[in-house]
Amino acid sequence: MLSTRLCSIAAIALLVTGCANNSPSLGSKNISYGDTKAVETVTNEFGSTDLQMIAESMTRSLAQSGTLQGRPVVQVYDVKNKTSEYIDTREITNSIKTQLMKTGTARFASDDNQMQNQVDQLKLQNQSGLYKKTTVAKTGNMVAAKYRLEGSISSIVKRSSDYKDVFYKFSLQLIDVESGLAEWMDEKEIRKTTER
Amino acid sequence: MRMKIVGALMLALLAGCATPPPPAPGSAASKVVSMGDTKNIEVGAMRVARENGFLTVKAQLTNTSSRNRMMYYRFAWLGNDGFPVADEESWKSMTLYGSQSTVLPAIAPVPRATDFRIEINTP
Repeated sequence: MLSTRLCSIAAIALLVTGCANNSPSLGSKNISYGDTKAVETVTNEFGSTDLQMIAESMTRSLAQSGTLQGRPVVQVYDVKNKTSEYIDTREITNSIKTQLMKTGTARFASDDNQMQNQVDQLKLQNQSGLYKKTTVAKTGNMVAAKYRLEGSISSIVKRSSDYKDVFYKFSLQLIDVESGLAEWMDEKEIRKTTER
Repeated sequence: MRMKIVGALMLALLAGCATPPPPAPGSAASKVVSMGDTKNIEVGAMRVARENGFLTVKAQLTNTSSRNRMMYYRFAWLGNDGFPVADEESWKSMTLYGSQSTVLPAIAPVPRATDFRIEINTP
């Protein structure tokens, strides 16, 4: 009697596990994850592919140019947006900085937008009296940048009844802080045309 | 005599069905990964050099058609062990005009890259 019961429980358990959904996904089938590296042509506004192409091309050109000898300290400034559309240019800056860091050719000083946090932290450690003295970061030891990296993106937009043409030009230059000389410069041009 | 002719025909048929031999290791063809049928796009000579510590590649591309052709491409950068040394690159699109031959330049993202593959796809 007991063995019959056990058998039936086992059979039910087997049936239940057999019917279970073993796919590691949950939710609507209309939503899916796409390839982040795919060529995106949903509209002809500035898009992910443009950001990736610009960062890739500029970083590699700079790293391979041989200008960055001995892993100099570089300060990155936000890319100036001179286009007519909203572009989160800080993301271009971040991508360039990340990729340059991965090449191992440069070190980076606090960016202009992070400087306040850096100064606040130093002040907090040194002036608040909250921290153990041996662990406090001393003031006056920040490493100054040898170069500054500045860029801009501009666009020319033309429309007709049949076409919309957008031409983006991204420029990046590396300037020696002491001499003020531009040591390296490159451009990336992108044309996107929509036929109506 | 008839047997010989039949034999020769059979051999010819077999040779016709045989798959082409794989490209020789290190050859330009061995660096190209065609994703599907890459219609009318031919990858020709390649120049590989190391400049300022980074592997640089120049690959010749030819559109064998008289019409403009669009293609997608990206490079994969490999280390000594044959495995990728960097994140996947983003796909890029390129238009080749009818019968145009051009050179595609590329720079490795990290000095560790010692080898590469060009992935090509046509819409």
